[in-house]
Amino acid sequence: MAVTERDLGRFAAMVVDDPREFRVSGAVYTDPEVFAAELARIFARTWVYVGHESELPAPGDYKTVLIGGQPLILSRHEDGRLYALFNRCRHRGAVVCRQERGHSNFFRCRYHNWVYANNGALIGMAQSTGYPDDFDRDRYGLVAAPRLASYRGLLFARLAEDGPELGEHLAPLRKYIDWWFGRSPTGDIEVLLPPHRYEYPGNWKLQAENGYDGYHGNYVHLSWQRVLALAKEGSVEEVQQYRQAGAARGLAGGHGLLERPGSLNPNSSWMVRMMARYPEYEQAMRARYPEHDLVEISARRNIFIFPNLYLFDTHLRVIVPKAVDRTEVQLYFYNLRGVPSGLNQGRLRGHERFYGPAGFGAPDDIEVFTEVQTGVQARGHEWNLLNRGQHRERRENGEWVGHTTDEAPQRSLYRQWRELMSDGLA
Amino acid sequence: MASLSLEEAQRLLIAEARLLDERRFEEWEALFTEDAVYWVPIDPARDPAGALSIIHDDRQRIHERVYRLTQTPVLDQQPPSRTIRFVANVEVEPAGDGEARARCAQLIAEMRPGGPGQAGLNAPRWFAARCDYRLRRAGEGWKIAQKTVIFLNADAPHYNLSFIP
Repeated sequence: MAVTERDLGRFAAMVVDDPREFRVSGAVYTDPEVFAAELARIFARTWVYVGHESELPAPGDYKTVLIGGQPLILSRHEDGRLYALFNRCRHRGAVVCRQERGHSNFFRCRYHNWVYANNGALIGMAQSTGYPDDFDRDRYGLVAAPRLASYRGLLFARLAEDGPELGEHLAPLRKYIDWWFGRSPTGDIEVLLPPHRYEYPGNWKLQAENGYDGYHGNYVHLSWQRVLALAKEGSVEEVQQYRQAGAARGLAGGHGLLERPGSLNPNSSWMVRMMARYPEYEQAMRARYPEHDLVEISARRNIFIFPNLYLFDTHLRVIVPKAVDRTEVQLYFYNLRGVPSGLNQGRLRGHERFYGPAGFGAPDDIEVFTEVQTGVQARGHEWNLLNRGQHRERRENGEWVGHTTDEAPQRSLYRQWRELMSDGLA
Repeated sequence: MASLSLEEAQRLLIAEARLLDERRFEEWEALFTEDAVYWVPIDPARDPAGALSIIHDDRQRIHERVYRLTQTPVLDQQPPSRTIRFVANVEVEPAGDGEARARCAQLIAEMRPGGPGQAGLNAPRWFAARCDYRLRRAGEGWKIAQKTVIFLNADAPHYNLSFIP
């Protein structure tokens, strides 16, 4: 599908950045042309999260991923370096790897036995005398993604040659990401496989909009709040009170986050409760961080890194768009490194209680995504409102900062979406 | 003490399936021992202590699961799932004093009804699974000490699994 100037104008008009009534068209969730353009103009052009280094610790380890529908292999070569390779044989186009993840010394195309090293180099073909002596194998390796870069083990690939470096892309979020890693006294995490995976009949942006939505919790998760009350882990009123505190932040670059304030009071901070329960954890944390950092680190944040990654307190959440109305979501639980094992055990069991396709919370979110996907088929009016809190948000250090229930982060998402989807418009 | 007969195992597993199909969740919960585990792995080869499971419930969490479905305003089971469970290939083996193991294959047909055009509703889904039960003698009958459900597509992405598989 060739995107024309007329399309760009149409996409741009789907987001109205009105100071009192920020709104998006229902077509952003339902129009197949929008979806095709998103793959080309967002996922094939910006930094996309592909995995964490701890998933591929040894040379020969690999995993396969989709970036905007395109198959790639993330591979650790014997030189210890990571490569993001298009999973497409240079000969006739078959994939050279079909597994989700594993360990291999090479990738072999099963069609005509072309064989590639873990860095993509072509190292052999069947019946190679069928090619002339001066056939230059160096020209026919698996094609690497133009850019692959890591920030503290988080791996991002960019399929476009040009664009900002990863550091620039992450700059608005960097302090929040660093605080998020800070819950480990070594500042590091280790992903535990396999991930939770769920799929829903709805658009990918419904998940993106929801992870930092502080407005829905008391309604969509009232059931969860009742379970907490049953377990004497807080009355419904206490949980609802907690959900009022904090901020929703919209950042440049399409990023955003929901934040519950940090505190050294164990009643309001999970991290401080853990420090009280595990003296060795408290000792390690106090040795590494000054007190004002500990307060920030103890804040609970759901951090969205545009366009496909959330950092949550228990997991890395990866959004995989599959069709305009079909989305896969992967939740990679991680251990905090350098903490008592009981602490991570508790996080693991707590994660399973709320998240995943049979958790006590996540399926309720998925349910409302499908309700939006159905509802926006009705075109009696065109617009979904994302204007909550526009009248009371403030600008701070380039951020839009709103009440915890406001839609400041969602507005940032769609400002970036509009910019990328209409870039090049005269 | 009599060991578990094949007929007894079949009766038990079919009765359990029927309680779930009829959404008699409290009666289903009463089938479990006080130290029971209900496990739906993503990868059955991994120790659930060190890897995520779809479900890894101890007795307390089984109770929370049932409470959530029966006593709280859940969205993901409103409308509720209809299910029909097929229990087949039942095998039994003794497993020590007053204990037994029963295995079966299950096919669970599931559907949530709704109005026209509703995404996610009105579409029958099929789940094939191997089930493994550790059973313990309790008076005249048997109770479930562990139920493990291994889906054919355990490691694939799943839509709503909030009905009890």
